[in-house]
Amino acid sequence: MKTSKYFKTLAFCVVMLAASLPGKAQVFPNTYLNIDWQMGVPLGDDFADKTSGWGMNFEGGYFVSPAITVGPFISYQTNLQDIDRQTLDLGDGAALTTNQKHALFQLPFGVTSRYNWLTDSVFQPYVGMKIGACYAEMSSYYYIVRQYSESWGFYMSPEVGVSIFPRPDYRMGFHVAIYYSYATNSSDVLVYKINNINNFGIRVGVSF
Amino acid sequence: MNVKQLRYIAFALVAAAFCSCQKDPSTSDLHRDYLVYTAHDSGTDFSAIDTYYLPDSILVIGNSDQTEYWKDEDALTIIDAIAGGMNDAGYTRSDDKTAANVGLQLSYVRQETYFVGYNNPYWWWYYPYYWAPGYWGNWAGWHYPYSVYYAYTAGSLLVEMLNLEAEQDNGRKLPVVWDTFIGGLLTSDAELNLQRTVEGVEQAFAQSPYLVK
Repeated sequence: MKTSKYFKTLAFCVVMLAASLPGKAQVFPNTYLNIDWQMGVPLGDDFADKTSGWGMNFEGGYFVSPAITVGPFISYQTNLQDIDRQTLDLGDGAALTTNQKHALFQLPFGVTSRYNWLTDSVFQPYVGMKIGACYAEMSSYYYIVRQYSESWGFYMSPEVGVSIFPRPDYRMGFHVAIYYSYATNSSDVLVYKINNINNFGIRVGVSF
Repeated sequence: MNVKQLRYIAFALVAAAFCSCQKDPSTSDLHRDYLVYTAHDSGTDFSAIDTYYLPDSILVIGNSDQTEYWKDEDALTIIDAIAGGMNDAGYTRSDDKTAANVGLQLSYVRQETYFVGYNNPYWWWYYPYYWAPGYWGNWAGWHYPYSVYYAYTAGSLLVEMLNLEAEQDNGRKLPVVWDTFIGGLLTSDAELNLQRTVEGVEQAFAQSPYLVK
């Protein structure tokens, strides 16, 4: 919990700093900055399997060449699921009958790299790859209790997208992407276990 | 659209993002149903039990400064549900607690008093009017020979089965060999509360198949 709050604060400060800089087409020369709303679809996960729009992505990059960018990213996503009333065998002679709400929170961060095409045009497509660490919280809410476990894992996420700049010479516009993500997190709560977290989804936002 | 306008959009997105960063699910509908937790001592042979003693009242855990019992018709309905579960399991109710193999004590949390968890299973030490071990015999206190986990709130029923054949004297403690915690029993509808409690008791026996003669 404290860890996720720390990263949220860090990301917030970075974005606020960037947004408070004087008005220029690029906040830093030869860079880009994206702020995206993120919708995630869990794959192969029966703990929290509902598609959710409770996610955001923040990333920036430096043009190390006219086509290639490298920079940091941080994003987060929560997926939920309602569990009907059922009896769980908790082991050691204990059993629990209850209904539940499940939540899976993911907070990956690390390095993102892109290969960009048509960087002088309105539509600038790219392919990208994010690599880093993923912090996750697996929670079950029942009765008055929230029972949860935390985990860390390796994260990678290929992405295809397009940046849209109505005035290509003035780098401010929009961003749309689809992505797949894989994290090696392993965790358990009550009788539920997850081994690896897989998602695909879309990101829509603004780009500088 | 200029840079300034885009920054406003960015600010709005960031503000929305951090207000909703980790989404907690709505838990209001979790309270529309009750919870039943059961646990038992795996070292106890429940098929060897013949008789049980069940008091005719339920101890109330509230803010009273003296022992308070619940004895009205509703209480008797709950006690009858417990007796029904025990009888269906093949055990025989005894009127003599000194002769019974096990005793059952029922407590109802009317007002939240203490949180109980793995780190604090001896919560009754802080509640001076809980079932005194002396009620059952010459034991120095209680103990659970297994892990217990409760989160008490108002509207909870606790049923504990005690091994009355355990050795007494010399500071020995009375072992709880089975217990159930039933929560979520308090709504604004008294009839529904009673119905939930009885259903919860029945569920407690249903999920304890080892309670059989």
